Amino acid sequence: MALLEMRGLTKIYDQGKIEVPALRGIDLTVEQGEFTTIFGPSGSGKTTLLNLIGCLDRPTAGTIIFDGQELAGLEKKALAMIRRRHVGFVFQSYNLIPVLTAYENVEFAVRLVNEYEKKEIRDRVLRILEAVGLAGLEKRKPNELSGGQKQRVAIARALVKEPKLILADEPSANLDSKTSEEVLQVMLKMNQELGTTFIFSTHDPRVMEYARRLIEIRDGQVAKDQRRG
Amino acid sequence: MGFLAKLAFKNLFRHKLRTFVSIVAIAFSVMIVVFARGYIVGLIDNLTVEHIQYDSGHIKLITHEYRDQERLLPLNYPVDGLGGRGLEEMVAALKDIEGVEMVIPRLKFGAMVSTGDELVTISGWGVDPEQETAFTDIERYLVEGRMPQPGRLEVMMGTALLEKINRRVGEKVTIVFNTAFNSLQGVTFTIVGRTESGIKLLNEVVFYLPLDQAQRLLEMDGEVTEVLLVTPDKKLVPQVLPRVQALLAEHGEDGRYLALGYKDTSDLIFFMEIAKLIYNQIYVFLVLLACIVVVNTMLMIVKERTREIGMMSALGLESKDIMRLFLTEGAIMGVTGSLLGAVSGSLINGYFARTGFDFTAATSGFSSEIVFNAVIYPLSSPGNTIFAFFLGVVIVTIACVIPARRAARLEPTEAMRA
Repeated sequence: MALLEMRGLTKIYDQGKIEVPALRGIDLTVEQGEFTTIFGPSGSGKTTLLNLIGCLDRPTAGTIIFDGQELAGLEKKALAMIRRRHVGFVFQSYNLIPVLTAYENVEFAVRLVNEYEKKEIRDRVLRILEAVGLAGLEKRKPNELSGGQKQRVAIARALVKEPKLILADEPSANLDSKTSEEVLQVMLKMNQELGTTFIFSTHDPRVMEYARRLIEIRDGQVAKDQRRG
Repeated sequence: MGFLAKLAFKNLFRHKLRTFVSIVAIAFSVMIVVFARGYIVGLIDNLTVEHIQYDSGHIKLITHEYRDQERLLPLNYPVDGLGGRGLEEMVAALKDIEGVEMVIPRLKFGAMVSTGDELVTISGWGVDPEQETAFTDIERYLVEGRMPQPGRLEVMMGTALLEKINRRVGEKVTIVFNTAFNSLQGVTFTIVGRTESGIKLLNEVVFYLPLDQAQRLLEMDGEVTEVLLVTPDKKLVPQVLPRVQALLAEHGEDGRYLALGYKDTSDLIFFMEIAKLIYNQIYVFLVLLACIVVVNTMLMIVKERTREIGMMSALGLESKDIMRLFLTEGAIMGVTGSLLGAVSGSLINGYFARTGFDFTAATSGFSSEIVFNAVIYPLSSPGNTIFAFFLGVVIVTIACVIPARRAARLEPTEAMRA
C-alpha cells in the first residue's frame, strides 16, 4: 500500500524579483515500510522534497497524498497535527533540547500526541530508549552524551510515537564511521521490527548501502529511482 | 500542556546570569513602584488626615463671612445655632444626621504673647479636650504634662512655641487677645502640657485651651467659630454633606452657614489626588523600562533557539504552543521578579512607615497655614504590595508578547536552516 504519492510536485521559492525553482514536477510513490535514500548534489532539491513530505512546507503546484490524505490544501494547524502524530524527524545536528534529559527529550514527542496515560508514556519511552541501546542513560542531558548517543536519542524521539514515516536529514553527517554504522543498524532494526517507513536525505555512501531504494534528485527532478533486492 | 510550563521553567536555567539580570531589573522596578507608591499614598494620606483633624473635619460648618476672612480668625461671624435656638441644640440636631459620628465645636482666635523682647503672634484654639482627644492625634503628640481641663485657666503648647517664649510646663504665661467686642484682654494661664509633632502649625503657633474658658474670656458664650462634623469614613462625605445642607435649609440658615467637605477646603489635597493618578501612570512606565531588559533578553533567546523552535515545530508544536512557551518563560521571570520586588519594597516601606522621613529642616520655610507634617510616613499596605506585584507580572507578560510572537511566526523550514 502506498504511504506517499507525489504527482507533478513543484516548489518555487520567490526571492523578491527572482523565482528559484527547487522542485520541477516530481512524481514518486513510496510504499509503507520502505527504507529509502534520496541523494544528489547540494542544491538539487533533496531537503525541499523532505520538507514537503514532512508537512513542513507546501508545494507551489502538484499533489502530495500522505496515507490517503491530500496535503496541498491543508491549513498550518492540520499539517502540524499530521507531523505530531504520523511523522518523525531525525536531524543532522540532533536538535535535542539541552535542558531536558534523554528521557524527557523522548517524552516531549509522545506528550505532544496527547493520547496516552502517564504510565503508558513512561513504558513507551523506556522501551524505545532500551531498543536504541540507551538503557541506563535516561537521566543524562545531551551534553553528557556522545554524538552517537545523541543521535540515538533523536531516533528514539522520532520513533516513540510510532509514526508511519520517519524523515532523516543527513543523520550520519556528524558521526564517525563506527557510530554511523551503529545508528543505521538501529534504524534498520526499527524498520524491520515496527514496519516504519524511513526516508533519508544523504551524501553518505554508507547510508546508501543500507537503503533498499535509492532515489537520485538532480535539478529538482528524479534522475534515477533504483530498488534493491 | 504542563510539560511546556516545565520546559519553560527549565529554560530559565540555560543562562543563569542572563535570567538573573532580567529578574533583578523587574524586581528593582517593582520595588521602586512599591516604595514610591507607598511614599506618595502615605504623603497624601498624612496630608489628608492632618487637614481633616486640625482644619476641616470631614465636613466644616462656618458662616459665609467667616469663610471670606478665615485667615484673620474673626470673632464677629460665629456659629451660634439654628434659627436662634443656641449652639447646643444645633450640635444635637447635627448629631442626629445619619452618618455623623461626632460634632466638634472649635473657637479659634488670634492672640499674642510677650517674650520680654518681642511680641509673638499665636493662635488660640478653644476645644473640648475629651472630644479633641477622641478625634485627633493630639494625645500622641503630647510629650509632657496633660491636656487643659474645662473650667481651668490652662493651656497646652508646642515645643517650638514654648522655646520661643522661653517657658516650660508648669510655668505661667500671660496671653493678650481681643474679645468679640474688640476689647483688649490679658489673661495669665498655667502651661499644663507640651506637644511635639512635625506639624509646624501645632508646634510653633497654636495653643490649646478649654472651650468653656475661651468662650468666657472672648465673651462668646454659646458661640464658636467653626463646627466640625466627623463621619465614620471620609468616603461617606458625599452622602452626608447633602443631609447637612438640607438641615441648614430646613432651618432657613443656608444663607448664613456654609457646609464644606474636606476636599473643598484644601487645594493641596485636590492637586495631590491628581498627582496620585499621574504617578500611577509613571509606575507603568517604570515597569516598562525594566521590560526593555526582559524583551531584549527574550529576543536574544528567540534568536539563539531558532533551530530548536524549528525542531519543535517539526515535532508538531503549533504556533500558539510556541508562543505560550515563550510567554510562560517571560511570565515566570515576571512573577519571580515582581514577587522579589514587592516583598523587598514592602519591607523597605514597613521600615520607613515606622521611622518616617524627617523633612523638618527642608520644610522650615513653609507657611504654618499649610497643615503639613514634615515627618512623612510611607504607607505600608498589602494593597500597595499586591498592586505593584500584579503591575509587574501583567506588564512583563504583555511585553513578552513581542518576542513570543516572533518565535511563533518562524516558519519551521527557515528556522531549521538558521
